[in-house]
Order: sequence, then C-alpha cells, then structure tokens
Amino acid sequence: MKRYLRYVFLTLFAIPWIAVPFWLLLVNSFKTEGESNVLSMSLPHVWNAASNYATVITQGQYFTGLRNSLEVDVPTILAVLLLGSMAAWTYARSSSRSLRFAYYGSAMSIVLPPAVIPTVYILTKMGLEGTQVGYILVMVGTRLGIMVFLATGFIRSLPHDFEEAAEIDGASKWQIYTKVVLPLLAPLLFTAAVLLIISVWNDFFFALFLLQDSGSATLPLTLYNFASSSLHGLRWNLVFAHVILTSLPLLIAYIALQRRVLSGLTEGGVVG
Amino acid sequence: MAAVKVAGAKVAEAPRTAGPSGRNRRYRLWFALPAIVLVTVFFLLPFIANGVFAFMQWTGYSTTIRWIGLGNFRLVNELGILRHAVVVTLIYAVTGLIVQNVVSITLAKALQQTNRVNTVFRAIFFVPVLISPLAAGYIWAAVLSPTGPLNTVLPWDHHYAWLGNSTTALLAVASIDAWKLSGLITLVYVAGFNRIPRSVIEAATLDGAGAWRRFLAVEFPLLAPAFTFNVVLSLIGAFSALDIVFATTAGGPGDATTLLNVAVYNEYGQGLFGTASALSFVVALMAIVTAVPLIGWLRRREVQL
Repeated sequence: MKRYLRYVFLTLFAIPWIAVPFWLLLVNSFKTEGESNVLSMSLPHVWNAASNYATVITQGQYFTGLRNSLEVDVPTILAVLLLGSMAAWTYARSSSRSLRFAYYGSAMSIVLPPAVIPTVYILTKMGLEGTQVGYILVMVGTRLGIMVFLATGFIRSLPHDFEEAAEIDGASKWQIYTKVVLPLLAPLLFTAAVLLIISVWNDFFFALFLLQDSGSATLPLTLYNFASSSLHGLRWNLVFAHVILTSLPLLIAYIALQRRVLSGLTEGGVVG
Repeated sequence: MAAVKVAGAKVAEAPRTAGPSGRNRRYRLWFALPAIVLVTVFFLLPFIANGVFAFMQWTGYSTTIRWIGLGNFRLVNELGILRHAVVVTLIYAVTGLIVQNVVSITLAKALQQTNRVNTVFRAIFFVPVLISPLAAGYIWAAVLSPTGPLNTVLPWDHHYAWLGNSTTALLAVASIDAWKLSGLITLVYVAGFNRIPRSVIEAATLDGAGAWRRFLAVEFPLLAPAFTFNVVLSLIGAFSALDIVFATTAGGPGDATTLLNVAVYNEYGQGLFGTASALSFVVALMAIVTAVPLIGWLRRREVQL
C-alpha cells in the first residue's frame, strides 16, 4: 500500500516535471509557425514536421554545428580523461610537496569560476582567438581539475601491489599506466566521461566568448544563433525542432547506455 | 606508543613514496606535466590575470591599458550595475538551491530502493540533465508563456507573463536551473541515503523515532557529505550562470535577471573589458567568500562514521 502510494506520487510529480515540458517540445516541433505560436499541448491540425526539420538542417546549419561539436568535443573529452588520469596517478602516488601544490592548484579550478576575459586575451596573444584549437585548450584546462580530483581519490584507494609487481617484472612507467592503472580506473573513467560529455557537449558559455564570430560554432551556439535570428520573437516550431535535433545525440547515447550511466552515478560514489 | 607507530609507518613508507630511484620520480613528473601546463595556462593564469585587469582601464577603443585602481568598480557601482547584479545573483543562487534540494531529497527518498519501477523513474527524472541549459530555457519559456500550459491549468488570471514580471522572472529562471540539475542531484542523494547503515536507522526506530524524526535527526546529518557537495556545486553554478537567462529573458524585464555573468557579457560586448573584468572579479570573490568557509563549516557538521 505504502509502495503503491509512492508510485502514485512519483507519477503525479513526473507529469508537470517531465511529461508536460517534453510533450510541449515534441508536439510543437511538428506544427506550423502560426499554430505553434499558441504553445498548446494539442496535436497539430496541420503536420509540418518535414518542413520544420528541413529548415533547421538548412537555415539552422545543423550539420555544420554537429560536425563542429564533434571536432572539438571528442578531442577535449579524450584529452581530459587521458591527461587527467595520468596526472592523478602521479599525485596519488607521490609525496612530493611541489606536486601536492600542483594538485591543489588544479583542484581549485572546481570551486573557482573561470575568468573568461583574460582567457580571450591570452588566446589572442597566442594567435588562437576564435579557433577550435584555442577552444579545445580552454575546455581541457578548465575541466581537468574535476577529473584530476576524482581520479586521484580513486587511485589512492587502490592497493599498491599491482603496480609494484609490474615494476619488479620490469614494466616501464607507461606500461604500468596503460596495463595496470587504466584498467583499474575503468569504472571511474566511465562515470567521469558521462559527466564530461554532458558538460562539454552542452557548453554555451565558452563557445559564446571564444567561437562567436567564426564558422566553428558548436551546436549550442548554432541553436542560440538560429533562435535569435528571428526579429519577431521566437518561431517556436523551428526552435523546438532545433532543440530536439541538438539534444538527440546525447539522448540516443543515453538510451543505449542508460543502465550503466545511472548505476555508475549512483553506486560509483561521485562524492567521497 | 603513538610515536613508535608513526615512526614505524614512516620507515615502512619511505622506499615506497620516494620510489626505487630518482629516475622514477622524474618519469612521474612527466605524467603530470601536460595537465599542470594546461591548468596553469588556461585556468590559473587567466584567474590571476583577471584580478589584475579588474584594476585596469581597458577598452576596445584604445590600445593602452593602464592602472586605475578601483575606478572600474566605482564606475559599475555608479551605473547601478554592481549592487543590482550581486543581489540578483544571490537571489538566483538561493532560490535554485532551495528548489533543487526540496525536489532532489524528496525524489531520492522516494527512489531510494533499487527496484525495477524505481530504476525507470530514475531514468526518466535524469533526462533534463542531458539537455543543454539553453534548451531547458527555451522549453520552460514556452511552458511559462502567457498562452502556455501553466496558465492554461491555473484557474485565475489567464495569460499571465511569468517571465515578464521582475520577481517571477527571476524565481522562474533560477527554478529552471534547478530543474536541469535535480536529476543528477537526486542520484547523489540516493547514493547518500544508501550509504547510511541499516543498523543506525533500526536503532532509531527501536528508540521510538517516527519517520519524520528519523529523517531530521538521523538521516539528514548523515547525508551531509552529499549535501556539502550539492550546496557548493549549485552556488558556484549560480554565480557563473548565463545560459538559461540568454534563452529566456536576456537579462530582463529591465535588468531583473541580469546576473553577474550576464552583466560581464554585456560590458564585454560593448568593448568595456576593464569593467567586465571588474564584474568577473566580483564573481570570483563571491565564489571564494561563499565556497571556502561553507566547505569548512559543512565538513565540520558532517558526522564521521
């Protein structure tokens, strides 16, 4: 009985919290501009889906945005996972004072907000302003902190024995890292990758400052530019079609990996 | 006795931490070096530079950058930007924090057990986490619009512009932020609830504590590590929020939702890099002033198991 009441409560809560917003999004992306103006929840009188989505792909530059997103997000995520876990291994296994200082320096980036204007200034001095490389470097530099922090804690809880055994067997540092440390880190790497992908794929803040005037706009920036391009308020049917297409890659990945994502976040102990 | 123990531990650890040879230590530094360089150049350096630029006269209309002390702060203060943006940002942060915690703790309590139905609900409530804050902003702008679903179900005053009124607009954008994060925070709390040993709950029950009392006196204090994490995360998030405002109100009506970071962007967009840096410096100060003591205070309150 108690459990039954709980399910009733959860269902009632899910209606305004999840069902209404997402239904509104989906159904209005199928309507004509005039009909979507009313923002009602009813089914479309005239189905205009094909035209809406085609407009988003052509005028909204969806595929350019998708390609740009993949071009910067994939290297960013791989670099953070690799460089972050390498550094974490050093920090976890060293007692050097200067390395501990470096560790705190990177952990600080978790609680301190990034300073975007000097970042633009530094990129300009390096000749990287508005470039994808510059954007990647900034994204990696600002996301490494959380990765280093999570992985250092994780490696500290691992026993030393495997690494020592491999060392006695004559393995090089790189071999120990790839053959011993990385496999042990796998569960954490998966969870960290999930959090990173969500934050990097959806980044709008840095894209706005660093990629604005270039052809390398990522999907969130493409969405914003497209939505703001209309002078007479938002064309809801088109904005919603763009929102759906922009969110689709992560949603598909989520549906495929949902069980692992959720159990990783719940049981992996993101918090110490 | 304690001294002997410490000394013993030191002897045992010495060869381990120093590494078998100096060569190994250098190898290890190489492993950390790329991360150290990237964090230094693209995070720490800009952060420190921001503290310098905040005191410089620097605009896009002149090539000279010169020291003007507190001039930038005085300017944004006289224009009424600074105080207003700080107040708006704080209201946004606190509103988001309350909405998010009430929702996430309630959901986590309801979804604590891992069974098939709860797994489905957890999966559903997680979906907002995946979409971009920008997308969340557009969706909720539609739900809250004068002709949108919210006004349709409310029995009074139809066509109310929730995002057109200063107070409701600010509360709404903060709540959208909370909506976007709550699926993730719920999972953090589920993990927190499940880390509480059964024996503690059972002991409280045997002592006659009801469900509500058990929650307040036993579970909530033991939830502190997850709570700390969440409070810090959402405060920092709110201090540097911008996306949702861009998608919903663009800082308006008037300047009702002009958060600090939105004000930074406005100044930056006008080529006023000095005043933009000054506002950005205020964001950093707020983060330091709130987060550091908060972490300390909440950590002290945490119950060690």
